[in-house]
Amino acid sequence: MESHPVSPAEARTALDAVRRERKRVLDEVGLPAWYWWGLAIGWIVLGVIADLEHPWLTTAATLVFGAVHSTVAPRVVSGRNRTSQLSVRAELAGRHTAALVLGGLVALAGVTVVAALLLDADGARHPATIASVFVAVLILLGGPQLLLRSRAAG
Amino acid sequence: MTARFDELIHPSTRLAITALLAAADWVEFAYIRDELELSDSALSKQLSTLEAAGYVALERQLNGRRHRLRARLTPAGRSAFDGHVEALRQIIDSG
Repeated sequence: MESHPVSPAEARTALDAVRRERKRVLDEVGLPAWYWWGLAIGWIVLGVIADLEHPWLTTAATLVFGAVHSTVAPRVVSGRNRTSQLSVRAELAGRHTAALVLGGLVALAGVTVVAALLLDADGARHPATIASVFVAVLILLGGPQLLLRSRAAG
Repeated sequence: MTARFDELIHPSTRLAITALLAAADWVEFAYIRDELELSDSALSKQLSTLEAAGYVALERQLNGRRHRLRARLTPAGRSAFDGHVEALRQIIDSG
């Protein structure tokens, strides 16, 4: 009979410990809080500027927002560096985090435009600002939750 | 992956440390200490053992005015860890 250095029960306990530590690291996948706050504040600023009704200013602000986001996002959007205390391995973090975040931004841009048009049609004085505040709240409440749910499903 | 039971990795504290490091590119000393509820000296001792075996590399990073110690698994450490996990699976399968 083959002899093992540990019993199957001990091996199972050890493997459980390995899984527990792996999960501990996986739980760190996500985007840092400052990213969500920065995004939400930037969104509101864009909404306020859009309500000023200077097309050139809105265009310039949108370009600046896009440029800043495209500079910052590659560093954090992978979800591997939510905390500064560790870096999750790429194969564990998965590739879907970046797609989820960027796809979410496109969807939120659509929601903002539709909400602003509806508010404008309803006679609101600052439709873009109100719509952007609504979406900023969605970003702050929904962004981290979306990643948590996608991780739980993954 | 070749299964190889590793006596150095297997003790529970070192297994937890290597499992944590295996899931990450690097992990800060403070994170490991806090999450595994170890004292500074206990963690230093375990990391030194793993470092002496060539399984772990320790790097000091200057962050502002503070030095932070990061640990990462070396390729040899990762290979040993994977082999150990495979050996554990085989023990369970044969049990």
